[in-house]
Amino acid sequence: MTSNGALLEVKDLFKYFPIYAGLTSRHVADVRAVDGVSFTIEEGETLGLVGESGSGKTTIGRLLLRLLPVTKGSILFENQDVLALGRAQLRRLRRSMQIIFQDPFASLNPRMSIGTIISEPLRIHGLATGKAIDARVRELLELVGLQPYHANRYPHEFSGGQRQRVGVARALAVSPKFIVCDEPVSALDVSIQAQVINLLEDLQAKFKLTYLFIAHDLSVVRHISTRVAVMYVGKIVELADRDALYLNPLHPYTQALLSAIPIPDPVLEKRRKRIVLTGDIPSPVNPPAGCRFHTRCPVAFERCVAEEPPLREYAPGHFAACHWVEEHGGRGPELVSVVK
Amino acid sequence: MLLEVGNLRTTFRTEDGPVTAVNGLSFGLGAGETLGIVGESGSGKSVTALSIMRLLARNAAVTADRIAFNGEDLQAKSESEMRRIRGYKIAMIFQDPMTSLNPVLTIGEQIAEAVRLHLGADKREARERAIEMLHKVRIPLPEKRLGDYPHQFSGGMRQRVMIAMALSCNPQLLIADEPTTALDVTIQAQVLELMNDLQRETGAAIILITHDLGVVAEFCKNVLVMYGGNLVEYSTAEQIFSEPRMPYTQGLLASLPRLDDTEHRRLEPIQGQPPNLLRLPPGCAFAPRCAYRMPICDQPVPLYDFGQGHVARCYLYDERARDQRPVTAQALPTVGHL
Repeated sequence: MTSNGALLEVKDLFKYFPIYAGLTSRHVADVRAVDGVSFTIEEGETLGLVGESGSGKTTIGRLLLRLLPVTKGSILFENQDVLALGRAQLRRLRRSMQIIFQDPFASLNPRMSIGTIISEPLRIHGLATGKAIDARVRELLELVGLQPYHANRYPHEFSGGQRQRVGVARALAVSPKFIVCDEPVSALDVSIQAQVINLLEDLQAKFKLTYLFIAHDLSVVRHISTRVAVMYVGKIVELADRDALYLNPLHPYTQALLSAIPIPDPVLEKRRKRIVLTGDIPSPVNPPAGCRFHTRCPVAFERCVAEEPPLREYAPGHFAACHWVEEHGGRGPELVSVVK
Repeated sequence: MLLEVGNLRTTFRTEDGPVTAVNGLSFGLGAGETLGIVGESGSGKSVTALSIMRLLARNAAVTADRIAFNGEDLQAKSESEMRRIRGYKIAMIFQDPMTSLNPVLTIGEQIAEAVRLHLGADKREARERAIEMLHKVRIPLPEKRLGDYPHQFSGGMRQRVMIAMALSCNPQLLIADEPTTALDVTIQAQVLELMNDLQRETGAAIILITHDLGVVAEFCKNVLVMYGGNLVEYSTAEQIFSEPRMPYTQGLLASLPRLDDTEHRRLEPIQGQPPNLLRLPPGCAFAPRCAYRMPICDQPVPLYDFGQGHVARCYLYDERARDQRPVTAQALPTVGHL
């Protein structure tokens, strides 16, 4: 545990992907995928991480597991400095931290049987041998709602939803404490999404798992998360308890994002007002100066162009990075009543 | 009726045997109307559009009792007649604008091509029309952007270019196949708003194919729900969302987390997997996953009429199946079928 009781503590995390160009492959610029991000995740909670493409949410998930090298910053997992670990220690850490990927078609090796896929982590970490492996694979398959005989089959024999269950079983094989769920239901059909969401919730309750749930679907995130962080071009712009974020969003970007999501209810949709942002999401290679959202923000003023707003706590546990909010005593601009 | 489709059946020859993608679909669409076709992957919604447009590959066999556009039989048209309809009277936009735009032509050339071909405009008129259309879809500095190639635009802008191209000849019908699925939500909102404005301006009918029930609720007047290659429910959007009759439609709505859920409720997923199109059941395609399944569901299911155009394909509402109903469905009304 870290000093404040968090399972995971991320401080000032940066990830720049260099861009090389020209004959001499000169370093010309960086994609600033993650540009100074701090947050904590408490044991047993689900932190939802939302944002549009290019916001850096997937990169954060990979950095936490050190699947990508960190440019700068610190990551503490159970008070252990993740970035200081050597190879052997890192392998041990990955028994506690696992990941479920978005694309259930690309994340399973087509030449391996389901049994081999699920047992691979057991072998790598030396958690079981011989008959015990088969028994554990059967147990895991049943845990995720598949049948023991599925162990002998290959990924192509399964539908998207079933494959994602295999991905969940593989992540669970080493009995982790923490799982990064990177868009785990985005590739699935609606009727199958709910099956996988319920499965993730059941497993969390059963094994006291902690999740980082990365998604662009704000309806799914509201359903599954304890707290939610909203990202925009490499930065967290708002972080709050689920209900606070959805019922009282402070940051104009969060408000616009929530208003843009259509609700499956035509009567309600007719009454709702939508903030249609103009322009496109800026490039993380050359993000706007000051507040990165100022180019699209309906309430931006001079300060937003000149000065980058810090992430400040405006109510207990409710953080936002916005000059407008600061100058209006911690109120959001109330662009629309977001949900009802 | 602007478009009438009767008993459309599309089968693909594959190595594993015939795959039935559309299985006896009938529907109609009035001028200026907005119809949402919803369904999951493999339900046949995109193949329906491609069958109507006659854009399928040779391994597809399309049969129908009727495919009529403005009263004219599209099946009887020659290929060159079809080419004069496509992109002119009926335009189509696809999910991924990057693969539907030609990467080696400027967008100006691509918009102008359709205008010259269908409207007989000369070079200068076509260029002016292209600028006008880009302006309409709110591309900044259209005169300048005309000479740019597709890769120089962002995803949202490319989709707006597609819309500009599709609407450049004032089509009577626009078929939009998952037009916002590849876009971020703030960009999706821009594109939907744009389609809405342009529809109001041009009076074109729109068929919006999507898996997103939220987009349907926002955008469509009428909704057609597809499952296993056929229509399982059709009504106004209000009716579909407030009083869904078919257990599949009900299941979809119950399985959806909503942005406005304040209480944490457990989602109710539909059990099982989508149907295998190589082996569709003889009766209701949804029966293997249905909580109300009855013995009669193994027989072909007619459409039941709930009045005001609301129809659903389900035996639960049949007088003959009354004594087969599960306890939870005892109180349902029975109605006549078509």
